[in-house]
Amino acid sequence: MTDTFRLTRRALLAAGAGAALTPAFSASRLMAAEANEVVVGTWGGDFGNTLKMAVDDAIMKPMGYTVLQEISGPVPRRTKILAERMNRRGSLDVACLADFDTYAASAVGALADVTRERVPNSAHVLPFLRKSYAIPQIYSAHTIVYNKEMIPTPPASIQELWNPKYKGKIGLSDFLYTTNMAYAAMANGGSMSDFGPAKKGLEAWKALDAKVLASTEAVGAALKSGEIWMTIIAAARGYMWSQQGIPVGWSIAEEGAFPTTYEACVPKNARNLDGGFVYLNAMLDPSAQTAFSKKMGYLPTVTNAKLDPDLEKLIGFTEAQQQRLWTPDLSYIMKNQAQLLDTWNRDFKG
Amino acid sequence: MAALVLPAGLLVLLLLGAPMALMARYSFNTYDPLYLMQEAFTWANYTKAVTDEFYRDILFTTLWVSLLSTFITTLLAFGPAYWLARMESSWKSKLTILTLFPLLVGGVVRSAGYIALLGNEGAINAALRGLGLISHPIAMLYTPFAVVVGIVGVVLPYMVLTLAAVIEGIPRQAEEAAANLGARPSTVFFRVLLPLSLPGVLAGATLVFILCMNAYATPVLLGGPKFHMMAPAVYDQFTRVSNWPFGAALAFILLVVTILMTSIGSLLIGRRARPA
Repeated sequence: MTDTFRLTRRALLAAGAGAALTPAFSASRLMAAEANEVVVGTWGGDFGNTLKMAVDDAIMKPMGYTVLQEISGPVPRRTKILAERMNRRGSLDVACLADFDTYAASAVGALADVTRERVPNSAHVLPFLRKSYAIPQIYSAHTIVYNKEMIPTPPASIQELWNPKYKGKIGLSDFLYTTNMAYAAMANGGSMSDFGPAKKGLEAWKALDAKVLASTEAVGAALKSGEIWMTIIAAARGYMWSQQGIPVGWSIAEEGAFPTTYEACVPKNARNLDGGFVYLNAMLDPSAQTAFSKKMGYLPTVTNAKLDPDLEKLIGFTEAQQQRLWTPDLSYIMKNQAQLLDTWNRDFKG
Repeated sequence: MAALVLPAGLLVLLLLGAPMALMARYSFNTYDPLYLMQEAFTWANYTKAVTDEFYRDILFTTLWVSLLSTFITTLLAFGPAYWLARMESSWKSKLTILTLFPLLVGGVVRSAGYIALLGNEGAINAALRGLGLISHPIAMLYTPFAVVVGIVGVVLPYMVLTLAAVIEGIPRQAEEAAANLGARPSTVFFRVLLPLSLPGVLAGATLVFILCMNAYATPVLLGGPKFHMMAPAVYDQFTRVSNWPFGAALAFILLVVTILMTSIGSLLIGRRARPA
């Protein structure tokens, strides 16, 4: 018996055909996997967990989709979309961003259009939140959040944020410098398209020894300990803290409040464009919307999501409050973001 | 022999040289809020960083915090390093590992520990209040003091181990000879031990100074939002406003100043360390 290996012509052809088919087979498997895989750029923490629970697992998984969360901060996510916009394929299928970030991404033509054909649930979106390049996922407003034990009467005016009797007791989140400056501008004769007068408000805050807190959690801890009595933060956050036993309330002042909308978009060069739109549609599903309200205190953006009346009373805005919300000039914010941070750092933190 | 250097050299070139070259190029571009940046060749970012009082102050703060931290670290490290170097018992290896122990804990975790220690409701203030020594908390957290304490805590093991390695190489007989000739312990230290250990001081101080200049987590977590140092300022430009050209310019200014300062240090101490 010999062990000589003899390669016949038939075996050679079979091997050749097999080798030729392997990449094609692998590619088709890869494409199939990609068609069922949606990469979602998102925040981590409560936001990412609620998204996973209410959208990824509850809606996308039964439809046969695998959702991969890519967790990062919003600016790197926006930067990634802008930097990748010239590439044939981007790395995200869906990006969750604040409204001014999706605006910036859409301004350079990086986002795919959201139509009712692609996202049927967008038909239910509240008219004032409707955009052609993104869906509004959740919204609230950055309001005055105060310690109810120290300030029994809800602050009625934004001028209360500069009331000398609260010297040393006003705390501001470093992270929300844009919102803080919007309040400072509005209190000093500015507008949503002119934050110039904010400088005066920042100087007044400095004179009142207003504290800058590094994170949202630090603001919560300072409110709890009594180190600060008042801040500017999302009403939704005020609701979350009150659920955790911190005695806080929120108030939309007579002058108004700065709305905060978190949106989701699909980059034009997404690998799985169709999957991305299926995901946006799932985000607008009433069950996903109410899950975010219960967990995070943000309001639904669709008319067909009905909140529990008790919850509605705690987190909802009345018609009059809704009317008082300011309309941010997203173009102004985008063009002046670097300048706003510079002013915040120099005139207030410096 | 040169072939042995090739893999590591290529890796450094690829992973360090290439991104730095890219950043250097970006630093000459102009910022564009819409498209991130526009290709250009301008010194405007460098000019702004150098002439703007706000950024000059940040650089100045970074410099004095780093110099002070390096000085304190050197002072604190010399004793333990000498003790470790001259130790002959079996405890030596165990103590060397113990010296390294703080490095096993990440910077963020360590800073969280300092927050629990130095905060208004922290352990030190609670103890002082418990003893009736103070009625209001002493503000320690979010001050330059907290940053220097935190940085010294991070870099101390590097200095101890570097100094110990050099002191170990100094013959004990040199100290004994000086003592036999009537030198007092302080004279032995200043005339014999310190001059001979200067190469170690130089190496340790250089390493520590570089780490201090580039400190990020400690200034952010212990200095608070109102305390500014260069590394967080660079990070802010990249991640909060996407101003890559200015962030890159700040990063290169930090790099050049660090190289300049370490070179000056080497010249000053190196000259004294050279044998007569």
